[in-house]
Parts: sequence; structure tokens; C-alpha cells
Amino acid sequence: MAATKRYQRSDEPIWWSLFSAGGVCVAMLIPALIVLLVFGPWLGLLSAEALSYQRMSALLYHPLGVLFIGAVIILPLFHAMHRIHHGLHDLQWAHSSLAKWLCYGSAVLLSLLALGLWLLGVFV
Amino acid sequence: MKQPDSIPSDKQHLSMTVQRYRPEQDDAPVWQSYQVPYDDSTSVLDALHWIKEQQDSSLAYRWSCRMAICGSCGVMVDGTPKLGCKTFLRDYPKGLKVAALANFPIEKDLIVDMNQFLHHLTALKPYLIGQPSSASEPNRQSPEQVKRYQQFANCINCGLCYSACPQFGLNPEFLGPAAIALAHRYNLDSRDQGKAERQPALNSKNGVWSCTFVGFCSTVCPKGVDPAAAINQGKIVSTMDGVIQWFSPKQLDTTPQEPTS
Ligand code: SF4
Ligand code: FES
Repeated sequence: MAATKRYQRSDEPIWWSLFSAGGVCVAMLIPALIVLLVFGPWLGLLSAEALSYQRMSALLYHPLGVLFIGAVIILPLFHAMHRIHHGLHDLQWAHSSLAKWLCYGSAVLLSLLALGLWLLGVFV
Repeated sequence: MKQPDSIPSDKQHLSMTVQRYRPEQDDAPVWQSYQVPYDDSTSVLDALHWIKEQQDSSLAYRWSCRMAICGSCGVMVDGTPKLGCKTFLRDYPKGLKVAALANFPIEKDLIVDMNQFLHHLTALKPYLIGQPSSASEPNRQSPEQVKRYQQFANCINCGLCYSACPQFGLNPEFLGPAAIALAHRYNLDSRDQGKAERQPALNSKNGVWSCTFVGFCSTVCPKGVDPAAAINQGKIVSTMDGVIQWFSPKQLDTTPQEPTS
């Protein structure tokens, strides 16, 4: 037998965990929100005033609004970029670590942007 | 040579197109069609026997048990990995195409080189490790303990799941469905203490993390093993293992080595 090398632990658990959490949000939370926010007023479940700009922005910029940003923007971003990253590999368009950096990097940047805008809304 | 007992020639016929590759004369695999007689009980393996006995004795393929136990008769039937002995011509009345298992190098005709699969299997140590054994006392297991791993213990190493797996097709270093399902089977066994030896390979890029949950391995498995479930349960195990390791840096040096051939 020739030389042996160490098995290297994959960093995939991090991305896969974010992907899985994002998947739950994309599959459960976002459809529920769409039903509620789009069809709610139409079905008479919600009044139009309940969805007024003032009320909505007050809700979003409440300290707990960060949970909404996380569940509706950040985790779904990681979910989508994980799919794109593996899709690129499946199509044999890109195997490189550059593709990985670009995919997860853009998820990180867009997440920071969302958080930044939210902080701006909270404090300004 | 034994005469195939199941096919008299006054039967209906269909066209079976078989992939041939004779390394001494073919540059690449070629297709060859045969009219084969069949009835309700004629399997693809029976038809291959008939061709070999009646038409073309040079046809090469593997088989042994004829009853979906030995796992040696795997072929692609119309592009899907199947056991030849468990697939029946009656289900293909318009004819069928039989080829060598995908994702493996072809040696001759329908015979492939499965070494890559066997290499991965060996790397994951699919046997009981460190179990205290004594000649007088059997190891006891409750029905519940057996149930945890039993489904994953039905594998016959036919390799159909490797032919079905697009990730193994792209990256033959991927340890693959059956090997990971068997590692999972032993990790779930109450008599086994080998998890620490198997986990580093499972945790690596070519372990559970090469799987993108296509799931075709479980569709084609002739024994209902569901390797996709094993691998994806393995991702949770590997994630937990990572969390534990990242928070306890002491264990770093126990990492087993990756065998290279
Ligand atoms: S898991 Fe199923 S398809 Fe794969 S080698 Fe085992 S029996 Fe064959
Ligand atoms: S001949 Fe044994 S499984 Fe088909």
C-alpha cells in the first residue's frame, strides 16, 4: 500500500445546515406568509388597515423583526445559493472553490445588506 | 453447457438489443440485436442465457443465483439499473435494450469492473468492530435494536445504486450509496463500537457530503435498502459529530488515515 493521507472533515455541515433551515422557511413559512398577506385581505381575514405601511414598518423594525429578516431573506438566500452551487457542479460548469466563494459569498453579502438596511430602519 | 430449460422456441419473440464490447476487436461498445423467444416467466437473464446458448456463445455477462440474492447480474435495462434475474421480458413487449452497468468501466460486453465500489466498501469497514465475543455467550439484541439497522442490512452489493447515482458518475471517489448505507448499518448496531473508525471517511467531502439527495439509488435498489435515507441520516450524524469536534479540540489526533491504493 502506498502513502496514506488524512481524511479531511468537510465544511459542508455548515452550508447544509443553513440550506436545511432555509428550506424549511422556503417550504413552510413563505407560502404561509403569501397566503396571509396576499389572500388575507381579499378573503377578509385581514383588514387593509392592518397591512398599512405604518403598521408594517413598525412590526418589521421591532427588535424581533430581525427574526423575520432571518427567516424570509437570510436563510432562503443560503438555501438558494447552496442549490445553485451544487447545480453548477451537477452541470459540470464549475467545480472550483471560486464558485463556492461566489455562491456563499453573495449569500453572506446580501444577508449583511438586509441586516444593515434593517438596522438603519430600527435606529434612524 | 446446460440447455436453458425455460424457453421452448414456439413462443412469441421480441427484440433484445444488447451492448457488446470485445476489447480485442471493438474500439467502443456497439449494439447487437437478437430476436428472443419469451413467455411470462422469461427474465432478462434467461434471455441472455438463450442468446449465449443458441445464437452467440461469445456473449459475456455475470450471474450466479438467478434469484436476486447474489447481486452479480446487474445490467442497464432501457437505461435503468436492474437485476437481470428479477426483470422480466413480459414488461417490455416492444423490446428492450440491455447494457453494462453505468458509471463503471466495462471489461467485456455486460461485465463491468466493480473495484471502485469494493474499494469504497472496504474503506468503511462494513463489519462488527470491537464487539466483545465469547464462545459460550451469544451477543444479545432486543427486537428494537435489530429494527434500527435491519433495513440497511439487506444489501446484496449488486452495485445498481452506484449506476443510478449521478454524483458517483461525476466523482468516482464518492464513497457512494451502498457503502455508506452499510457503514450506517454498523454504526446503528448495538453490538458495534466502530463508529469512530468509520466517521472520518463519512465526514469527508467524498463521504456523505457528496450526496445531493437525488434519491434514484433508493428507487433502483432491488432489496428495498433505501441508501438515500441512510446517507441523509448520515448527514445529521456527521453534522452532530462536527459540532462536537469543533467544540472539543482535544480529539484531533485520533483521525484515521485514508487508504490509497
Ligand atoms: S443498496 Fe441496494 S442497489 Fe445498492 S448495492 Fe445494496 S442491494 Fe444493490
Ligand atoms: S443472478 Fe444472482 S442476483 Fe441475479
